[in-house]
Amino acid sequence: MSDERGIPRREFLKSAIAIGGTAAFSACLGREEVDVPTGPDDLSSYPQRQHAWNEVLPRDDHGNIIAPSHRVLLYLNYRRDGQPNEDDRDQVETALRGIEHAYERSGDGLLLTVSYSPAYFYRFDDSLPDDVDLPDPEALAPFEEPEFDTPDAVVHLASNTAQVVLGAEEALKGNKSTLNGVDQPDAALTDVFSLADRRTGFIGDGLPAENADDAEGVPADKVPEDAPLFMGFKSGFKKNQASEDRVTIQSGPFAGGTTQHISKLQLNLNQWYNQDDRWQREAKMFCPYHAENDVIEGAGDNLGTSSKIDDCQPTDETAREMGVVGHSQKSARARDDDDSPLILRRDFDSTDGGAASLHFLALQRRITDFVDTREAMNGTDVTEQSAVGQRNNNGILQYIRTERRGNFLVPPRSLRALPPGQPAGDAQEVTHESS
Amino acid sequence: MNRRDVLRAVGGTSLIGLAGCAGLFETRSARAPPLPENRPDAVYYPTHYEGMKMPGMKEQGGYRCAITYSYAHRFWLMKPNGITKVEIQPEDSIHLMPVVWETQTGIIPPDINPQLTITQNGESIDQFAPWPMLSQPMGFHFGDNAQLQGDGTYTVEVSIGGPSTRRTGSLAENQGNTSFTFEFEFSESTLNEISYTDIPDDKEGTKGAVDLMDMEMLPNSQVPTPDALPGDVRGSETSGDAKFAITVVEDASRFGGDEEQKYLAVSPRTPYNRTMLPMMSLSATLQRDGTSVFDGILQATIDSDLRYHYGTTVADVLTGDELTITVDSPPQTARHEGYETAFVDMPDVQVTL
Ligand code: HEM
Repeated sequence: MSDERGIPRREFLKSAIAIGGTAAFSACLGREEVDVPTGPDDLSSYPQRQHAWNEVLPRDDHGNIIAPSHRVLLYLNYRRDGQPNEDDRDQVETALRGIEHAYERSGDGLLLTVSYSPAYFYRFDDSLPDDVDLPDPEALAPFEEPEFDTPDAVVHLASNTAQVVLGAEEALKGNKSTLNGVDQPDAALTDVFSLADRRTGFIGDGLPAENADDAEGVPADKVPEDAPLFMGFKSGFKKNQASEDRVTIQSGPFAGGTTQHISKLQLNLNQWYNQDDRWQREAKMFCPYHAENDVIEGAGDNLGTSSKIDDCQPTDETAREMGVVGHSQKSARARDDDDSPLILRRDFDSTDGGAASLHFLALQRRITDFVDTREAMNGTDVTEQSAVGQRNNNGILQYIRTERRGNFLVPPRSLRALPPGQPAGDAQEVTHESS
Repeated sequence: MNRRDVLRAVGGTSLIGLAGCAGLFETRSARAPPLPENRPDAVYYPTHYEGMKMPGMKEQGGYRCAITYSYAHRFWLMKPNGITKVEIQPEDSIHLMPVVWETQTGIIPPDINPQLTITQNGESIDQFAPWPMLSQPMGFHFGDNAQLQGDGTYTVEVSIGGPSTRRTGSLAENQGNTSFTFEFEFSESTLNEISYTDIPDDKEGTKGAVDLMDMEMLPNSQVPTPDALPGDVRGSETSGDAKFAITVVEDASRFGGDEEQKYLAVSPRTPYNRTMLPMMSLSATLQRDGTSVFDGILQATIDSDLRYHYGTTVADVLTGDELTITVDSPPQTARHEGYETAFVDMPDVQVTL
């Protein structure tokens, strides 16, 4: 389907997300023929875990979760100095409920989380409970110098339907009196918060190729037509992701919550596609064994439910003997005693600022889990002992540059509106009446 | 002779057979003429070599950085089972090489991989981490072809991180993490002033190497001649056309051992130019009267006297000990013409000490 100017439908939709605003939203409505069910009147059955998305997301033929394709991250600063008051909390909760009534909680509907930074929690006299590991962001490799994101809160909006993400955002900004036919409350998130930054993106088969024109430096016609990510491979296999249980905080007043790390990684696709060959891309993304044995077809859907990393030799052996190590191979060194990865990746590509990049959003029980995983990915130990360089032949480090990092706490649903630093033990019961 | 002249000469003589498309491809074919036939599995004279320009040099945090460039180049990337040729793309305007060195020692650390950001009036033009590379005239350097947008002023930011190769003594103190910003005036006509030297047909493709460029103000990436190496130099052998100088240093305390121990150091270098050969995996065995007294890896290390080398501490080294050095991975640096067929297949090196 095309609009009058002949822009293919999907191509229009992704640009709309990047542009945002009411005009983009209305334009979307006209072009995206979907009927997204509204949410329930009674939201009390919604899970305490804001990050419990998997149960409502579609799966591919192998049973891997398909990540929601359209994303917006709203970076917000609380307008009030000092501690939040109840009015503000009500306002935030009411605004969030407004969009939840408008769209059902599903892949085609709306998925969202609200999270808070260490900077937000500094306003309280009491520091966060010991069960919560939420340090300030820091550089996580000897060779990076990122800027740190310190806004108070981040709202993550996700859907397979572009207009849902845009509509929800507009409603949160107080720009919609009705949304999907549902009256919106007279409460805007932006009355309580100011917008510090807006980041957008996409993930899913074909979207990167369609978005390639929006970004500088993406080699024309090189991103495979069916790839879900700019770098050409499928990611997020079932067995290479932590479960939602694995990343959930187990005890204390924030039990049911999780921590979130968001980095912005700039991609260099020219070297990746125009200089490296397919062998190198497979070896560097997965491991040399996969490249040698043609394990990966196309984007790698044939791999099934895992990246088959068990077939790779140990990372240090590959480094010594082949002079190159794969990203997946290295990262898989950060696993727990049950052989589970430590982080749940919900990353997505972006053309924000006209450059190909990736918003690497990861959930983990403790930020330390992310730090350990990133350390495994840096492979500094491997470079010291082998021909593998700091970036050269070192997974995908040659092609990514960390621009920004931020840490956030995704509290349980009952605490998602301006949580205190030390909620009372019964905080989870202090939920707002379902409206 | 500058490149223009070569173009003229080429247009008039050897490429006459291509007359039909000479106009179209003249620039590119002159920059990258056909490779010599029958290249040896050794260092060879390339078809041509080029000079370079240095628009600026800065000092910061114990490091100096010079920004240098030349014509866009073809080069090769390493794979465990061969090499991948990187062709010049139509959009490539220059070969950009940020040269970073430790101010005090002049050592160019191969483990500190710079990141480049090129902007123009605040607009992003290109950003990448250049490859570690070996070239005959430039030695070891970081470089890649960059895509500029015509004549104009560009801002090039070179940022460097911390080291990841072991360093000895005070060299270990410098943790890097700094950046250098250059204003870079680029024009096609200045680029074309860079010298371009054709190597005669009967010489190109034969064993040998063009000399290192005489780079005023820039350090080179050479390692010491064997007799200038510290310690007791016990031999020099060849593998894959690389030379391996072997020395035994008394007192291994500087290298993580103790005073009683010896430090066995292997210093590989290119033939002819003595350019260091970093980013290899080397291991060694030391046999004495048929029994192994050492079997392990040789760790890449940067030392102010030995410079970049590979080594291990051992209890002792006696006359008659049999040393076998295994190249588990050849240098993983990218290669410019004349180096891509050498240092690839590297058999064991055996020396009786
Ligand atoms: C451009 C950026 C990135 C791309 C394209 C990418 C892509 C991939 C791919 C294709 C895989 C293997 C397939 C799978 O998901 O199972 C993988 C695995 C993985 N990646 Fe990344 N990745 C990127 C950045 C990162 C970063 C920044 C981290 C954080 C440390 C990370 C952590 C992991 C982990 C933990 C695994 C699974 C390892 C295991 O099996 O235990 N990735 N990635």
